[in-house]
Amino acid sequence: MLVTFLDIVIAGLLLGGLYALIAMGLSLQYGVARVLNISHGEFIMLGALTTWAFYTAFDINPLAALAICGPLAFILGFIIHRTLYKRLLNSSGSLALFEGNSMLASFGLMFIVQNLALMFWGPEIRGYSYLAFPVDLAGAVFGANRLVTLGFAILIGLTFYFFLTRTRIGKAIRAAAQDPAAAGIMGVDINNVLAICFGLGAAMAAIAGMLISMSYPVHTGMGLEYTIIAIIVVVLGGLGSIPGSFIGGLLLGLIGSIVTYFEPGLALAAYYVIFILLLLVKPTGLMGKS
Amino acid sequence: MEDKKRLTRRDFLKVAAVGTAGLAGACSQIPVTGKDKEKIVVGMSRPLSGPLAVIGDSAFRPIYETWVPEVNAEGGIYVEEYGRKLPIELIVYDDKSDVGTMTRLTEKLIVEDKVDFLWPASGTSFVFAQAPIANKYGYVLITAEGGATSIKDMLPSLPFVFVTLSFSDWYQLPVLAELLGEKGAKTAYIVYIADLHGIEYSGVAGIEFPKQGIDIIGVKSVPPDIKDLSQIIKEAKASNADVFCCFAYPDQVMPATGTSMELGFNPKAWVGGPCVNFGFYHTTFGPAAEGVLGFTSFSPKQSAAAKTLADKLYTGKPEEAQDWWGHPLYWAGLEIWKQAIEKAGTLDQAKIRDIIATEKFQTVLGETWFDNGLLAKECHTGEIGQWQNGVYEVVGPKNMATADTVYPKPEWPTGGG
Repeated sequence: MLVTFLDIVIAGLLLGGLYALIAMGLSLQYGVARVLNISHGEFIMLGALTTWAFYTAFDINPLAALAICGPLAFILGFIIHRTLYKRLLNSSGSLALFEGNSMLASFGLMFIVQNLALMFWGPEIRGYSYLAFPVDLAGAVFGANRLVTLGFAILIGLTFYFFLTRTRIGKAIRAAAQDPAAAGIMGVDINNVLAICFGLGAAMAAIAGMLISMSYPVHTGMGLEYTIIAIIVVVLGGLGSIPGSFIGGLLLGLIGSIVTYFEPGLALAAYYVIFILLLLVKPTGLMGKS
Repeated sequence: MEDKKRLTRRDFLKVAAVGTAGLAGACSQIPVTGKDKEKIVVGMSRPLSGPLAVIGDSAFRPIYETWVPEVNAEGGIYVEEYGRKLPIELIVYDDKSDVGTMTRLTEKLIVEDKVDFLWPASGTSFVFAQAPIANKYGYVLITAEGGATSIKDMLPSLPFVFVTLSFSDWYQLPVLAELLGEKGAKTAYIVYIADLHGIEYSGVAGIEFPKQGIDIIGVKSVPPDIKDLSQIIKEAKASNADVFCCFAYPDQVMPATGTSMELGFNPKAWVGGPCVNFGFYHTTFGPAAEGVLGFTSFSPKQSAAAKTLADKLYTGKPEEAQDWWGHPLYWAGLEIWKQAIEKAGTLDQAKIRDIIATEKFQTVLGETWFDNGLLAKECHTGEIGQWQNGVYEVVGPKNMATADTVYPKPEWPTGGG
């Protein structure tokens, strides 16, 4: 009984850690930069396939690919925001209008990135075996690669939390999340901060993609389903709240794991039920400000 | 006046001469336009993007992309009615792996584009949806990817539909059950994807396994979007079943393999497909693929024709592109289509249909024919395959096997790949 319980909880946390990482990235982009980035999953896909390519072609350790994928995705995200979204922000009359416009633009971005990847890598499923051996935890057995994934997800989540709370740029990001106009008046270089947020979001997506590729097969069409999960988690955790996204991700993973134990087919349905309940009961999310 | 008359006559003669020549030319052209066919236009709705692109791009696509240029290099297909060879031109639309889009595109190809022939969409539920449309318009449809357990009973009412691929009860699972039963397997745990493919395979396994003394002690359906299979694999491991079957698509079979390795679940037989039969399964898992069972239909070791086909399709290409299950059957389907057109001497669908339905053809499989709309099982050159020393061997049925079944399968290799 205890082993079954451990099994379900840890399996949930393993998946939840990934969800948390993905959602934190989207939370930065949507909560702070106000871009409901439908192409978020495409950055996950880029991270995953780049890691796979490095591992199979050059034998580069997937965890070492972190040092390549993360910064590259950050630069890519930063440039995309400085060029595409900054123009939209300037040309949109209001923030509400910008949210609509930027979402449409991110749809376009999704198609462009996905099709470029399709041309480059094709639609085949890719995968590799890395640390695929069992580890015994008090009678419950887990794959070593998944435990490493969870460890990394937590580590990155915590690092990021301290970055936001302890550093100057973190403070600027939080200020921009609360009130971009006021933050701008107080001397925060708002365009820069928003671009950094978007870049960090892309970097987290790519890192999540790298971790996903260690445990799951990957392909160029994998992005959208992760985008949907990320949107659910961000709303669950509360818009703009990074700790909310982290906790929301773990929670969603747990719920998915419990439901899967009884009936695998209902996992996704359960996510949506929670989504609906939340919108009815607490529309601001778990840690959102009313 | 005289001048005028003369001029008129001359003019008249000129006009008459030009007119007669023109008319003669026009007359001579009228029958020609009727017979003037430059090419055979073939239309397809294919999953170029979306979740099924993985299957479509590894299965039928490499076949038609190799076969059509080969036929066109020889000038095309000889059609007696036109007295010459007509090259094939393909129109391929992307249905984004969506059945609804596929049905609309199929109707568009027939009604709007007025293609001469229809080639198949990809996937069991797609075949199920496309077959009645093709039949309604009287278009011959020789299918590619997709099983037909459910559509089989409807085939008598779908005379234009011909199924090439082997599938669950035609004749894979009876062979699998017999192989495993002989090796002493007693229990099986089945995971299947909650769509027509999974339902057909788990249903047929439920009939065939007990016949060979194999009890099914667990059955679990999984949704196509499942991420984490660890709890299902744990349940299978706890059941201690001799045989583990994963009747699903690569999106589930690949993580099921990975999760089995991670959790140290090594049953005596691990069966999965469609997925294990593709080269990308081997490139992904390498030595861990050893002993894994899947579906197949040929091996280059079986005949010179099989070897020629394998060389043509796979030499100089990445291993990912290999498909040991579908490729020879799809190739044979196209060969039959070409030979039927040549025999009919016309592009009339009904005449071609009659020839395909009643006659026998020489293909890569040897003598090949359709048996009530299904590629006769006597033409199959294999049903069950197994990875042995990096080669996908045919292990069943025994009279076509290139190797004996390894049972129990070896342990998964330990550590990172």
